[in-house]
Amino acid sequence: MFLLLAALPALFWDGAADTAPVLRDAGIKQILVPAARLASWKSVDGITAEAADPQSAVKVLAPTVNYRMNVAAATSSPWIVANGWRFIRRPGGRFYYDVTGKQAALAAAEAFSYAANAIIRSDAAGLKPLAAMLDFLRTIAGEPLPPVADIGYIDDGSPASGEVMNLLVRDNLLFQLVATPDRRLKVNVKLGTKEYPLEDARNPGTIAHAVRYNLRDEKRSVRIYGSQVVVARLTASAGRARLHLLNYAGASRTVDGIRVRVLGQYPKHQLWLADGAGVELLDYSVEDDATEFTLPELKTYAVVELSR
Amino acid sequence: MDRRFFLQVAAAAPLLASPADEPTYRVVTAYKPAAQPGMPGPYPGQVVRVHSENSIDAGSAKVNRELVKQMLASGMKALTGDARSEDAWARFISPKDVVGIKVNCSGAPQIRSSPEVVAGIAENLIAAGVPAKQIWVYERFENQLQSVGYGKYLPAGVNIFGVETSRSSVLNYDPKTYVETSFFGEDDTRSNVARLVSETLTKIVNVPNLKEHQASGVTGCLKNIAYGNFSNVARSHNAEKTHTRTFIGTLAAVEPVRSRVVLNIMDGLYGVWHAGPFSESAKFRFFPKQLMFGTDPVAMDHKLIDIIEEKRKAEGAISIFDRSMSHVGKDNSNPNTNHYIREPGHVEYASTLGLGVFDASRIKLKVIEL
Repeated sequence: MFLLLAALPALFWDGAADTAPVLRDAGIKQILVPAARLASWKSVDGITAEAADPQSAVKVLAPTVNYRMNVAAATSSPWIVANGWRFIRRPGGRFYYDVTGKQAALAAAEAFSYAANAIIRSDAAGLKPLAAMLDFLRTIAGEPLPPVADIGYIDDGSPASGEVMNLLVRDNLLFQLVATPDRRLKVNVKLGTKEYPLEDARNPGTIAHAVRYNLRDEKRSVRIYGSQVVVARLTASAGRARLHLLNYAGASRTVDGIRVRVLGQYPKHQLWLADGAGVELLDYSVEDDATEFTLPELKTYAVVELSR
Repeated sequence: MDRRFFLQVAAAAPLLASPADEPTYRVVTAYKPAAQPGMPGPYPGQVVRVHSENSIDAGSAKVNRELVKQMLASGMKALTGDARSEDAWARFISPKDVVGIKVNCSGAPQIRSSPEVVAGIAENLIAAGVPAKQIWVYERFENQLQSVGYGKYLPAGVNIFGVETSRSSVLNYDPKTYVETSFFGEDDTRSNVARLVSETLTKIVNVPNLKEHQASGVTGCLKNIAYGNFSNVARSHNAEKTHTRTFIGTLAAVEPVRSRVVLNIMDGLYGVWHAGPFSESAKFRFFPKQLMFGTDPVAMDHKLIDIIEEKRKAEGAISIFDRSMSHVGKDNSNPNTNHYIREPGHVEYASTLGLGVFDASRIKLKVIEL
């Protein structure tokens, strides 16, 4: 439990200690503050404070969805702004969000789903959503499980490689970083090879399509049907799997149902759904090679624990 | 398949499942065909057209409800050969059935399955012994359906149901009955049938409009059955390309849809000859003043093609079979410009799936004038 709580994102607040009522009203209980303000915050009741420096963290983007109605594209897929690839590229790194409104809750959920160490700076409108999300994250029981990957990705650290990783995350093509091809994984990807030429990486979507083609849809550990704005992260160990589902449009729109397919047979399940009391998984079925269910609504974030 | 070739295709139009021109489909259904599937049904290759000059007023678009009732009775009797309308309906529907009336509201509020026609069908179903509560007037998009206001016309107790209460919601679709394919590399590769169709209805009366369609050439019986009962279908169009040629028939042939659509009544009182299925421009609407009847959606849609082609020719517009890129463009306010290369061949393709008769020499058209 301690490890899990340690992975929770935290609000960075550079206001003076006399702004504490604003935080209390929102339900914020823990904050990170500039070192120069730490002493004054230590004497504030009901809010624990630690010092942090956002400048030392890697700044990440505000998670969201941009609907590109006026952009000609192969498909009309919305553009998801996600940071998963950044977390995967820098395991153990510290990250910094600067967000507004309900994006603060989504940022916290995104960082939590990747067990990323994240600092979140938010405007006043984001405080209550953030506090509610942090309270929700504290309810999710159990220790983190190792991530599931179908793809081994050899990252050369270049911007082009990062963009390919970004597309893989957004397209729910689960990968892990490897130094050399790993035969235990279904597909291994290295830019600059005959299979994945650098010239193709100029359009990272082309590489992502090629990876998907080589992997084959039926071998993908997770499939999402019914939404273009939900990104999944799957972790698993010893007959248990934990599926994280993030609605990147969550700041503005609830997803009215998605169908999910997870490879493997998992007769039992437990659902944690942010801001969704009473919601249950529907049409749960265990097939020969996969488990399927419908999540009837997804405001921002859900975790589904699957077990045998 | 050569992977380099795949990548080249993907770069141009990222077609995931197959680089060939035709997509591959995986049909998933646990439903078995009925002893005699509804399509093509007991009257393959037969089409009845009932025309009445006074059925609708071309100035106000006001429908003459009494004439519509007479058209329905005449059409059903002519199709079946029965002397009484009640006997004709009883061939298709029993009092135990739960009956869906699949309307088309994609051009609403201007062009839609006329409430007077739909109400007339519901009245005949009730006369055949079907309780009103076992009748469902339905359409995919609830907002389009509501814009018509069928409730004011229908007998009390008839259900009115929109499958998607919010756009793209999967909740009212059957997760176990679907067609899987990837046209352009889209990640959501499933199109699921509406739960109402698979879990509730035992029979469906299909009530399309008489319209041209920017992608499929025409939108008649087959398209209303296919794209009107399944989710996630607009993904079949991209840039000028549309896969409606094979997708429409493939969807319509999925059980239990194929078995349960037992009757087609095409509402051609009012129609669209260009820029369909919507009807944003009044200049592309016209008044065929007719209803068509049949159990064979292919034969009926072949006749629909003939009507649209004739009208377009009269208006000086290109054929819906034209495939020239010079006629593809964003501004379709000109009847010689269209968003897509149309695929009216979907009707003939559906005949290859056993859904009906396309060969013009084998189609018998019976015309009744009221």
